[in-house]
Amino acid sequence: MTGTRHALRTLRREWRLPELRTLIAALLLSVIALGAVGTLAVRVQRAVVMSAAELIGGDLGIDAASSLPAVFMRHAQTLGLHASALAEFPSVAFAGDRSQLLSITAGDGAWPLRGKLIVAGPRDRSRVTHAPAPGAIYLDHRALVSLQLNVGDRVQVGGMDLVIAGQLEQQPGGGDLIALAPRAVMALPDARAAGLLGAGSRARHRLLVAGSVNGVDAYRAWAKANLPADAHLVTPEEVQQRLAVAFGRAGSFLRLAALLAALLAGIAVALSAQRYARRKTDEIALLRALGASSRFAFGSLAWTLAVPALLAALIGAGVALGLASAAFAYAHDLLPASAQRAPLPFGPALAAACVGLAVLAGFALPPLARLRSIPPVAVFRRNIKLAPQRFDLLYALPVLVALGLIALETGSWKIAGVLAACLAGAALFTTLLTFAILWFIRRYAVRLNPSLRLGVSALTRRRGLSLLQSCAISLGLTALLLLAVVAPALLDNWRRDLPPDTPNWFVVNVQAEQRAGVRDALDKLGATHFNDMPVAVGKLVAINGVDVERVPFRGQDVSQEASQQVRLSWNCTLPPANRVIEGQWFAPDTRDAQVSLDVAWLRRFDLELGDELEFLVGNQRVDARLTSIREVDWSRFNVNFFVMLDPAHGKALPHTWIASFYLPPGHAGALAAFSRDNPNLSLIDVDELLDRARQIVGQVTAAARWVLAFSLLAGALVLAAALTMSAAERRHEAALLRTLGARRGQLRMAALCEFGLLGAISGLTALLASAVAGAWLAHAVFRIHAFSPPWPPLIIAAVIAAAVVAALGLAGTRKVLHTSPLLLLRR
Amino acid sequence: MDDGRMHDGNRTDMALISATGLGKHVEGPTGRLDILDDVSLEVNAGETIAITGASGSGKTTLLSLLAGLDLPSGGSVRLDGHVLESMGEEARAHLRLKLVGFVFQSFHLLPALTAEENVLLPLELDGTPDAPARARDALASVGLRERGAHYPYQLSGGEQQRVAIARAFVHGPRILFADEPTGNLDHASRDAIADLLFALNREHHTTLVVVTHDPAMAARCARVYDLVDGRLRAHAA
Repeated sequence: MTGTRHALRTLRREWRLPELRTLIAALLLSVIALGAVGTLAVRVQRAVVMSAAELIGGDLGIDAASSLPAVFMRHAQTLGLHASALAEFPSVAFAGDRSQLLSITAGDGAWPLRGKLIVAGPRDRSRVTHAPAPGAIYLDHRALVSLQLNVGDRVQVGGMDLVIAGQLEQQPGGGDLIALAPRAVMALPDARAAGLLGAGSRARHRLLVAGSVNGVDAYRAWAKANLPADAHLVTPEEVQQRLAVAFGRAGSFLRLAALLAALLAGIAVALSAQRYARRKTDEIALLRALGASSRFAFGSLAWTLAVPALLAALIGAGVALGLASAAFAYAHDLLPASAQRAPLPFGPALAAACVGLAVLAGFALPPLARLRSIPPVAVFRRNIKLAPQRFDLLYALPVLVALGLIALETGSWKIAGVLAACLAGAALFTTLLTFAILWFIRRYAVRLNPSLRLGVSALTRRRGLSLLQSCAISLGLTALLLLAVVAPALLDNWRRDLPPDTPNWFVVNVQAEQRAGVRDALDKLGATHFNDMPVAVGKLVAINGVDVERVPFRGQDVSQEASQQVRLSWNCTLPPANRVIEGQWFAPDTRDAQVSLDVAWLRRFDLELGDELEFLVGNQRVDARLTSIREVDWSRFNVNFFVMLDPAHGKALPHTWIASFYLPPGHAGALAAFSRDNPNLSLIDVDELLDRARQIVGQVTAAARWVLAFSLLAGALVLAAALTMSAAERRHEAALLRTLGARRGQLRMAALCEFGLLGAISGLTALLASAVAGAWLAHAVFRIHAFSPPWPPLIIAAVIAAAVVAALGLAGTRKVLHTSPLLLLRR
Repeated sequence: MDDGRMHDGNRTDMALISATGLGKHVEGPTGRLDILDDVSLEVNAGETIAITGASGSGKTTLLSLLAGLDLPSGGSVRLDGHVLESMGEEARAHLRLKLVGFVFQSFHLLPALTAEENVLLPLELDGTPDAPARARDALASVGLRERGAHYPYQLSGGEQQRVAIARAFVHGPRILFADEPTGNLDHASRDAIADLLFALNREHHTTLVVVTHDPAMAARCARVYDLVDGRLRAHAA
């Protein structure tokens, strides 16, 4: 007889066992959580990467801080390639009293060369087209709604009156995937004429070429040799890679959250497996007594688990695919239209099934493996002890599996170690708290009413189990409270923490001769807190004499970032919201050029005090020594720079000015005239950007909360598993007490007290842990110095969570209370 | 085990079970505790013997040593000529499968299997052909032909023990070990089970070793031993 047949036969009845069901539910939950998140992340990533060529709008691009020399266009044409020039920049559009920050693409008549620009005309008929003719503009739906305009109306951009020739439906976006501002497309000559592309503007210039593969290759080789210092080549592969990295990071955060939920479910697996193993002890002993080989006995046991586990893993993978598809359909508005055709990937769901099975094996194997050492004589002696040390090393397996999976996900054993240490710290805190509470109640329980004493003593009797339960539930609750209550409060606090007159507008591309005029004009409009700083656009070309292209940075993305343009500024005094954390701020009139860096920039490029950095600004080279490191509070919305030069060397560079100011809400309409009078200036509405950023943060938080709901489910499973584990003991106790005359109400009260306490311990731990984590986040990430955790909602949420735990626990013991004591004793 | 079958024909003249100087002790909190001390016993094929004694006298320990479920601290057990102490647990399991049947005080039916599937177990472990038909016959022989599809919890204590007896005899073992087979049953069931056990024993010519408290049951065996202070004393039958 094969072990499989025996296993299937056994399973026919055993699948009803609560421990087996909990075990399978835990596996199902792990696979669904991991699979849904993994599938969604990969599909979105693939969708975005798929559209990379269209995102560029050509086969090859050259990005530059300033307009490229005409020879680049001519050479492309000589090689028989199509070429097109465009620029991208933010600017505010005005219509009557309304204003709206737009993300504008200005293209020549040939743009786009690849991908589609689709606009809807006045009669809602979509057409594929190119950039509009001078005097016209296309606005997307969001821009039209916020400016309350229709196709055919007029709008003012950069001081020019333009006719809205169509509603923008799709464009080969060279920029952000999730646009911060509504989009617009205008004619490149108009943008030039309006002065929106001046030397210091935030415009990014791009030349696109498209044509035969050989032609493009030849052009690539030629362009590489002739690139100006502030320019770099953009290829679809490079864009793909950059997008993949960006999405990879967001995806791995969510996947990590899902993995933690799966590992939490692993505790439920371990508990259920323990109970299942205990139940199977008699069977294994009997089979051995009847002459079954240990291979048969253990093999059949393994199959009993493997069959439902494989089924559950498959079902879980299916459900995960379904959930991911639904989420993808829900989120499709955020993605480029062409990305929506991305096929559903099956790999992540299957991988999730494998990880789920690994969690199951890792957590269930130790208790089950111990059954191998059950001697046949146990058939006579139920209390026989198992050989203690033989399989105890196996208990390291779940820890190794957990660490391994986290390391695999994060790609770093160090992160896995730190994360494991944090989890262990939280678990230790819960353990200490539980111990303290148990000690306290044991000491004072004698004074309690008998029913309550019974409940309290149940917790202290099953101390190990109580600890495990409270740890697992606390971790799940902490994660949930942190996301549901603390995170929104943090964001609100952050926003409220900004003084009411924090600069809410930026104006860029101010020429030196315009400075005084701009300030006067804005003063007249009621603007306050005017602050301007010089800005020069350049490129980092060498570090300690080594060309940046040859510096071995930590990753491809860091190398690419190092070769991009950088904005430099200078000031005699340390700007507000800046703090020197190492080195000295510039002394006046230093002989040698000096540079000060923001600490984040410094870490990104692995620099240290004393390093020599060479910058190229226009045709001028500046060789500066790193003399100070600053910490910048970016949340203050002042004009801030990663790189600052000493003023003596900075002011010699070609530069423009950038200014920030505060204009009370509702006065934006007054800026329309200002914009018309100063057409070369780009105005940026920070409030609007902030609102949009908050919206995106909200979406990300919602997604993370959705993922962390799995953690809470896993916590509930742990509770269910723990209940199952002590079920037989509970039944026996209840039967005995009922036989001795205890009323059902008394038993219910005892159970309520037991689970109420468990809920209270978990709730209290979660409350404190999430408050501490929130305070740390406020201090370290958001730099809110007076953050107070939102105590009232936090306490209410913790009380509700504790009540739910108590109710779930009570519901789990309902059956025990309603069963006849006679029947219980018979069993 | 092939070895066991090969010698079947040659061993009829010697004792089927032979225990010499058996001792079993365990280490307890107060020091060494001797459960069995210098126990020797020979049982020939087809014999029926009873081992009686007070609770905790070591009856079940002796039974488990004779059946090869446990190993003695001293002395030796031969089962059909096989020296159990020299065999590994897997080999002893195989020997039990071929040679031995068990009836337990608490029945030990697998709760997840039906009555018929419980009876099938030894046959299927041994890979016997026409196992289901033989299991059904065995159930019929204990009067439970109609209860094959029932799970243990759907059967009374007496019925569960009948299923256990059917399981013990179904593969035709040469030795049957019974540990307090009527210990968990009421008076009426006790007699019925004892009758069944001895009837099947006669029918199958099995060697029967019964551990029991019940004097009436012990009296039905050819030889009776009393276990007192870890030592075996023969009783007049």
